Amino acid sequence: MTLPRLLLMRLLDLVVVLFFVSLIVFAMVRLIPGDAVAIMLGANTEVTPERIAELRSRIGLDLPMAEQYVRWLGKALHGDFGTSLWTGRPVIDEIALHVWPTLQLTLLSLVIGAGLAVPTGVLMARLRGRFADGALRIVTVAGLTIPSFWLGIVMILGLATFAPSLQMLGYVPFSEDPVGNLARLILPAVALGLPILANLSRLVRSAMLDALGQDYIRTARAKGASEASVLFKHALANALIPFVTSVGIMTGYLLGGAIVVEQVFAIPGLGRLILGAIAERNYPLLQATILVVTCGFVVVNFAVDLLYLAIDPRVRA
Amino acid sequence: MARRFVGSMMIAGAAALAVSPAAAQVLEVAIDQSPAGLDPHIITAFSSFMVVNRTIYEGLTAIDKDLKVGPGLAESWTVAPDGKGYTFKIRSGATFHNGAPVEAADVAASLKRVMAKEIASPLASRLAAVESVTATGDTVELKLKEPAAPLLTSLATIAIVPRSFEADKDGLQKQPVGTGPFKFKEWQPNGFIALSKHDGYWQKGLPKLDGVKFNIVPESATRQVGVASGQYAMLPNIDAATALQLKGKPGVKLAETLELAYTLVGLNTSKPPFDNPKVREAVNYAVNRDEIVAAAQFGAGVPGGPLSPALKSWALDVGAFPCYKHDPAKAQALLKEAGVATPVALTMTVLPRQDIKDIAQVVQAQLNKAGFKVELKTPELGAFIQDWRNSNFDLFASTNAGSPDPDDYFYRTFRTGGSTNVFKYSNPEVDALLDRARASLDPAARKADYDAVQKALACSGPIVHLTYGQLFTALRANVTGFEIVANRSLSYLAETTAK
Repeated sequence: MTLPRLLLMRLLDLVVVLFFVSLIVFAMVRLIPGDAVAIMLGANTEVTPERIAELRSRIGLDLPMAEQYVRWLGKALHGDFGTSLWTGRPVIDEIALHVWPTLQLTLLSLVIGAGLAVPTGVLMARLRGRFADGALRIVTVAGLTIPSFWLGIVMILGLATFAPSLQMLGYVPFSEDPVGNLARLILPAVALGLPILANLSRLVRSAMLDALGQDYIRTARAKGASEASVLFKHALANALIPFVTSVGIMTGYLLGGAIVVEQVFAIPGLGRLILGAIAERNYPLLQATILVVTCGFVVVNFAVDLLYLAIDPRVRA
Repeated sequence: MARRFVGSMMIAGAAALAVSPAAAQVLEVAIDQSPAGLDPHIITAFSSFMVVNRTIYEGLTAIDKDLKVGPGLAESWTVAPDGKGYTFKIRSGATFHNGAPVEAADVAASLKRVMAKEIASPLASRLAAVESVTATGDTVELKLKEPAAPLLTSLATIAIVPRSFEADKDGLQKQPVGTGPFKFKEWQPNGFIALSKHDGYWQKGLPKLDGVKFNIVPESATRQVGVASGQYAMLPNIDAATALQLKGKPGVKLAETLELAYTLVGLNTSKPPFDNPKVREAVNYAVNRDEIVAAAQFGAGVPGGPLSPALKSWALDVGAFPCYKHDPAKAQALLKEAGVATPVALTMTVLPRQDIKDIAQVVQAQLNKAGFKVELKTPELGAFIQDWRNSNFDLFASTNAGSPDPDDYFYRTFRTGGSTNVFKYSNPEVDALLDRARASLDPAARKADYDAVQKALACSGPIVHLTYGQLFTALRANVTGFEIVANRSLSYLAETTAK
């Protein structure tokens, strides 16, 4: 497939995916029992029916569902995602505020997860059958099965017990305090990144073992290539192809995992924004945030496809 | 390479973590929920009230830690002999956060804003007795349709805002302007709300802090770790379970008081079987309040009647109510007398909150031992509220906020047609007592009326009052001057220091 054609196909994919996501999200959030006005008013019946009606009409809840959707979509196509029901601020501004912590957290988790997975996987393949390989495999199974949020809670409880003077909750922007920023993100990033590390290192291990059994490796060895060259130049290059695909999928997983980890570590990111919006039935905010996250996911997959072009000549053919 | 990168970051992180408290005295507070708007006349959520009440905004009067009413933005006041006129003298030297002085016209405009139909304020009913508001010079005069004993208490809950907001429905929700010791600085939804010191505050020497930052931390374990590590200096209004876990943690102290809020079982008196007072009485006998406190509230609470024991001058001792003695046999006898077929099969709707779910399970077991067959249903919050508002329940388990003045709670809850009388309760005797007590300015006569109301409600009223919990606030040891208030207001933040 040529590059422009690939780009075009991907772009079309994006549009179709976003359309269906918008439709599903819209329908789903409206199906949650209890609407925004009920939540806003709380358990307060001193509120007059007029005020309830006024609030509903201000939010547009008095219109038929289909009309609400078409109106929302029409505005969204013009870049207007509406205003947050609770703060009255444009939804886009709120997303912009919350996107950085999530991006940073995701990136850091990827660095930890994917970055460490390659050397770990290679090491496991190299030491296949030895004690270290077995031990690492047991550790990775544990890494796969432990949920990030649980790990996060254990981490902060451990922190409270063993290092109670460390202040590692919440978020400070990198521009204000770079060290404080990284210090606060490191634990959540580890909590999020460990399952990825476990997953990907097992994948690298088996891909490496697969590659190392191939004829061309024997040829390389026969030609006197060094062990390092065999491992990293010949075997790893081929083992990386399934790895890259998985990194793309893992990024989607990370965004999902970030929702709970952000909650545990009190990080004001997109995950917190989504949870808050669900609890508040903050429809415009919820719809726009989920669209942004979906868009991010599709873009990452697109980037993975481009990476394929770079590392696998067969795709270019 | 990656490993080295992570390693160096960890070292860098650890180096920066023994953060010393900044020179500016900003109190880091952790709360569990984002406020739903900041307009004091429109907000209904407790998360909003806690952030703005007596921090950003003040009323004409103020309630202290003993729940007594005193002067606020009104320096003093006089009451007409017939109880139908109040004249407030506005404090000189008080200013809004935008620098403008507080004038009688602002006070009048604020009260009118609450009463205006277009604003549709949930506080409007608290000014229902007010016929007219007039500002003259530095005084504001309120003419009432009828005497209203709880007016002074009610006025403490009505914030004074600049008159430019009188017809503005949206402005204050985002950018509040009040007269309180702290002014609004920044709101990052799901992140924090920051307040800074109001330099021109009328009480000299206050506030002592340079600011307050309300961090929104939904996860309970995270809040606990945050206060244990000193990252947060205060966790306001926490429950007994959290307090118990923080008890004895180094550097953490607990302030506690008996709550005004109470747990309850509400009964729908508009349909069988609770249209029969005997069945309502049977529920009271069936319930063992001490067991609820022990089993579901970690022992931190007391059995309570219609008024909180925190209201020392009003509440009757629960010993005054015979039906508060746990007696399942008596409950069964009453059901028999009422002529209902046992076991009485019912569905109890439960507020989706952990403490209430715990209580509901205990109550369920107790009722089932006394001739009922109760099933629990825990809907999502929005659905619970809708069912509650529409009186769509047999009985429900929930919690209610109290009030420093009995009228504020009793009248809307138990008066025929009262705004929160979702139980459809109607008792001419109670109605007459409530009407009389509301119009009376004689404290002794009011007390006698409310005693009678409590007795009438305790055993066969629509609410089975269960318990009043102990309310806790966790503070770092260096925080001084803070007093916990039973109505959950953080009014003592102005006098708090954290050195």
